[in-house]
Amino acid sequence: MLSRVAESLFWMSRYVERAENVARLLDAGRRMMTVPTSAEARSAEWSSIVIAAGCSETFPDPLETATQRSVAQHLVFDPENPSSIRSSLHAARENARAVRQAITSDVWAAVNESWIDMRARSPASIVGGGFAQFLDWTKTQGQRFRGGIENTLLRDAGYNFIRLGQYVERLDATARLLDVKYHVLLPAHAQVGGVIDEGQWLQILRAANSARAYRHVYRAPVSPNRVVHFLVLSQLSPRSLRNSANMIVRHLDLLKAYTDRSEACHFKAYAMVARLDDMSVEDIFQFGLHEFLTERIQENNLLAMAIADAYGFGGREPAPVRTQEA
Amino acid sequence: MYSEMSDEGGTRPEYARVAAWIDEIGVEALLARRAEAEALFRKVGITFAVYGEGGDPDRLIPFDIVPRVFSADEWDMIDRGSVQRAKALNAFLRDVYGPGEIFAAGIVPRDLVLENEAYLPAMQGVTPPGGVFSHITGVDLVRCGPDAFYVLEDNCRTPSGVSYVLENREVLSRMFPALFADGTVRPVDGYPEMLAQAMAEVAPADCDGQPNMAILTPGHFNSAYYEHSFLADQMGIDLVEGRDLFVRDGKLWQRTIHGAERVDVLYRRIDDDFLDPEAFRPDSMLGVPGIFDVYKRGGVTLVNAPGTGVADDKAVYVYVPEMIRFYLGEEPILPNVPTWRCSEADDCQYVLEHLAELVVKEVHGSGGYGMIIGPKSSAAEREAYAARIREHPAGFIAQPTLELSTAPTLSEAGLVERHVDLRPYVISGETTRLIPGGLTRVALREGSLVVNSSQGGGVKDTWVLAR
Repeated sequence: MLSRVAESLFWMSRYVERAENVARLLDAGRRMMTVPTSAEARSAEWSSIVIAAGCSETFPDPLETATQRSVAQHLVFDPENPSSIRSSLHAARENARAVRQAITSDVWAAVNESWIDMRARSPASIVGGGFAQFLDWTKTQGQRFRGGIENTLLRDAGYNFIRLGQYVERLDATARLLDVKYHVLLPAHAQVGGVIDEGQWLQILRAANSARAYRHVYRAPVSPNRVVHFLVLSQLSPRSLRNSANMIVRHLDLLKAYTDRSEACHFKAYAMVARLDDMSVEDIFQFGLHEFLTERIQENNLLAMAIADAYGFGGREPAPVRTQEA
Repeated sequence: MYSEMSDEGGTRPEYARVAAWIDEIGVEALLARRAEAEALFRKVGITFAVYGEGGDPDRLIPFDIVPRVFSADEWDMIDRGSVQRAKALNAFLRDVYGPGEIFAAGIVPRDLVLENEAYLPAMQGVTPPGGVFSHITGVDLVRCGPDAFYVLEDNCRTPSGVSYVLENREVLSRMFPALFADGTVRPVDGYPEMLAQAMAEVAPADCDGQPNMAILTPGHFNSAYYEHSFLADQMGIDLVEGRDLFVRDGKLWQRTIHGAERVDVLYRRIDDDFLDPEAFRPDSMLGVPGIFDVYKRGGVTLVNAPGTGVADDKAVYVYVPEMIRFYLGEEPILPNVPTWRCSEADDCQYVLEHLAELVVKEVHGSGGYGMIIGPKSSAAEREAYAARIREHPAGFIAQPTLELSTAPTLSEAGLVERHVDLRPYVISGETTRLIPGGLTRVALREGSLVVNSSQGGGVKDTWVLAR
């Protein structure tokens, strides 16, 4: 498989996942609006969404003035923001178009039609009840894309690069979603562990589509420890850091069958799983949740670079010639 | 005017199936089904457009649902005539980049070729594997009567459009399977395999085992990208861009997740100029630095060879019948359209005096641009055009306005007669052959003779009937 094709598949998948995760972040913001809080804390909720999306530098206004409207504009439509849902769906489509022959018509149709629909949407269409509906639509696009991949794509190296892109992006997104809680202010009168605090944890769980799953697993009220356990360490949660790391290892291992090589990225991925294995929720809080998540995000970035390096992304200097495997 | 479907005696036998089908379904229903066909084309992403901001990136070439039909006998002549032509053009290219016997024999003027813009001096002395320069040759044909086929022009560079041949059939057979159930209409889906085999036949001599083959595309912003990707997919080979390739140790390599893999045969869909910034245009970002040197040393086979454009130049076209006699010792099966060369004083005089009856084209033009159709032009247009001819006579050729044949075509008003042409794609490797079919283009505007897709032309499925 051409390195460029692997790279485009990886990024196509990352961008679809990113669009969906930005929608989840916005959903977290939308849900927090339903929890009573002070005006000051309200604005901090929206700025926390911008920070968690990694868009504080591209956000055009002062962060403390962020509102649902301005955040939605920047994270949904802004063409200047490479992580906006619109930019992501466009980038996914362009990557797919560049490797049209390496994907099935079902996968192409999913990516292409998402972009065509997105292109037709306007800010006016996502106000009021239209906002939640739009966020659902965005998540549905991701489901359709992954359905196409699962049901129609050959299980060859390209499939593994697609799944790698998905889980590298998801690990990043879940870490950022959880970090929203760090940036959100509690109103002056509220207590840590109080009703508002608990409400915020619940909304984060909901944004990860995990509230009901959480009940199912813990059969207990929402607590910070359990939410962090579920979204970081749990092997049951499809969105936990641990599960994403497991999947990254699995698909890197499968790639070895095609290239017959272990690379630095393999060892980085094993180390990532080992680190999560070694830590308990108590250790994480001791370390500092925000610091812990920041470290995971950086570690994940380095892993993505190591993957790019191992498989010749970015048109880098050619690797030594090897005889092709059968 | 020759109508392909019927004459005074009624429907011609080869069109019996099409006529019965139209009667059975009715024009109203056909119009409805046409929308369905368009949706199918759009779904698979077959578009032809300059991709970029502003234009509609998803424009389709209009597909006319009524097929165009050839009887087995008619096709036999087209097949033999096209193969003959491709063989002669390849012999000509071997000769003009080699010994130059046709100049020595006084048949084609040496200067006409060596000073032609499309002549590539860097190819002098190069003989590609198997002596094949033009592996894919498009022969554009028009018809003026039952047996009166003429070659309008040859395409030896990178003729496009073959994906429509396959997709038109795919869509029509999906919508109307009964039309194809008994094998009367010969299949066209053998093209990718035929091309892959021909490419394998011309692999470099030092290639061991199965040759590794690829298609080189300028990228997904190119208007023919769909075709590049379609062919790569159908042939089961990689679709590469310039940045995927590099040159080392006298060979061509592609960057893969395994490391570097050698490429033995490259079907390139970019123009000569852009192929190699070290050999041709230095500003080209699309090509591969050093590839031409590797090619000349036999490290890789390029399909089609660089420099083939000199064989399909309009000034050279008039000599093709002579080439056939000279190289093959045969009489041309498919004649040229009679052509006046304005570079010759007598011809130029005739053209200027008969401008109102002739079609005049620029020698280096293509795509239907820069031509004048005498009978459809105004006196003022003719005068302006005559001034251009006098200015630079060698830049123009003229042909009679042919009464192009028409084929039934679906319009909102029902079935109408529209002018058509045909492009068969001849494939040359160890042998020269073609699939039973080609691209029929149709001028959708009433009376129009211009079938180019850039000028509002459409396409039809082309049927060749089994004997």
